[in-house]
Amino acid sequence: MNAIEIRGLTKSFRGMYALDGLNMTVPEGAIYGFIGENGSGKSTTEKLICGHLVADAGEIKLFGRDYNDAGVRIRVGALIENAGCFPGSSVYQNLRMQCINLGLDDIDGEIMRVLKIVRMEDNASLKFKSCSLGMKQRVGIAMALLGKPALLILDEPINGLDTDGMRIMREILVDITRTHGCTVLISSHILSELEKIATHYGVICRGRMVAELSASELEGRSRSYLSLKCQDMDRAYKILKDTYGNIRAVDGYIRVYDEDDSASVVKLLCEGGCIPCELSKNKIGLLEYYTELMSGWGE
Amino acid sequence: MKTEFKEPTLKERILGMLGVDFYRLLNTPLFYIFLAISAIIPAMVSAMTVMPGPDGAASTPLYSNVWQIIAAGEPLYVVKSIADYANMNMVYIFGGIMVSIFIGHDYNSGYVKQLFTSHPKKQDYMISKSLTCAFAMVCMCVSYFIGGTVAGLLVGYDTAVNVPSLILAILGKCVMSLGWASLYTFLNIIFRRYFGLGVASSFFFGTGILIIGAAAIADGLSLDPSFLNIFLYGSSVNACLSSGLGTLIICLLVSLSWAVIYNLLGTLVLDRCDVY
Repeated sequence: MNAIEIRGLTKSFRGMYALDGLNMTVPEGAIYGFIGENGSGKSTTEKLICGHLVADAGEIKLFGRDYNDAGVRIRVGALIENAGCFPGSSVYQNLRMQCINLGLDDIDGEIMRVLKIVRMEDNASLKFKSCSLGMKQRVGIAMALLGKPALLILDEPINGLDTDGMRIMREILVDITRTHGCTVLISSHILSELEKIATHYGVICRGRMVAELSASELEGRSRSYLSLKCQDMDRAYKILKDTYGNIRAVDGYIRVYDEDDSASVVKLLCEGGCIPCELSKNKIGLLEYYTELMSGWGE
Repeated sequence: MKTEFKEPTLKERILGMLGVDFYRLLNTPLFYIFLAISAIIPAMVSAMTVMPGPDGAASTPLYSNVWQIIAAGEPLYVVKSIADYANMNMVYIFGGIMVSIFIGHDYNSGYVKQLFTSHPKKQDYMISKSLTCAFAMVCMCVSYFIGGTVAGLLVGYDTAVNVPSLILAILGKCVMSLGWASLYTFLNIIFRRYFGLGVASSFFFGTGILIIGAAAIADGLSLDPSFLNIFLYGSSVNACLSSGLGTLIICLLVSLSWAVIYNLLGTLVLDRCDVY
């Protein structure tokens, strides 16, 4: 069963389309990396799933049920834009309110459980407004984790977190999907972090889903390439272009795609009077895939 | 692993949201500040009415009886002096501002996102806010009663009163709190993105300016002003020191009717519009 299934979702703000017939499928138990540039419609999609916005058209199903089903929505945890806490109340009070809201029984136990997960058990009495940006983000995650949600929606949760915070976040997400079978929809611009945990990806551009694929599909599509730098790049490009058709200049480097034999490339350049000063073997990752996809879509 | 979902009942949903609202209400200073205001204002009015003027001459007291600070002697749809105005109906003005701050804080903090994420049924929000704020306004009525009575006794006003009518008048005003709280909740849902407008609209409606205008027209046309009891302000004024059981029943019916109407309208707005 799919945790999220969206068909033809459309949303406009004063005549400007934020989402234009978006289709999206998030399998149950997946960590779904939702990628797109600023203003592409990621947050709008998440807000629509959470019922904060009303769609112009389209259908949203959560675990096969309508997204307005109270039984499903009580099992949705979300962190969208900010933690949504009362600044004058303590971390504990904010979490307590959410526990009451969700109708949880062992409130103190549940609060300690989530505070332990986000490593904030010693800061429960701290006023929310006194928390640092990173701590506020962690409290927001703790709020979203209350009641062991079946679906976790996180909008840029890594923002404001330090290196250790990012690592903790990765561990939390992987753990809750493995132990509780929780599905995670996570949007982030830090693709290197997303790549470490995501099992599925969705790329959105101008309110439309450009691509949806699993991590294994991305791995399958990955192409290897040689990346090199010479003093005379124009000449090197010309020499390589004549022999290897599949080359591109990217970020001051020449990329020779689908070529593993670096020795023959170096030999060819040397024979042409071009000595390479940098050479490395690489594989296209999420960032490269995304960049290429976006450049293709833009054209 | 198969994920299972249990549909919460209406009671469970409302209790969850009411629990949050009452926890917030009782654990933040806002409520207690307004309780204090509700007690201090009638005490100040009572004290000021017998204070000598700037020239040292004794002023004429506005009231002749301690209970007139609680309710007027008879329904006064058209107020002619500040004394007619300054009674327990002022609680609805303070209450309106309190409701605006209470709901405005939901939106300013972003907590409303948590509420709407877990509660897709928008009537939960309307019902919970209306009931919580009605409770707060009833508490403010009690606080007003204590402040006004103590100050009135200290000032030395006459205490003669028809006790059942006084009790019915106070109960009537307490009952009206539900209708007023629903109105303010509705107004602040409409102006949820504009906190200042929310406060201003609550104040505007709380003062009863609209109904006073309607009453003035009715008065000018020599119409029976009791038809104004169908409005919140009319019934609130009708709960006075000459009240009978019929007044309380009217207050109950009017308050409940308007509460239902405003809750339905508020739910409709929340269902059709972006909530955050």
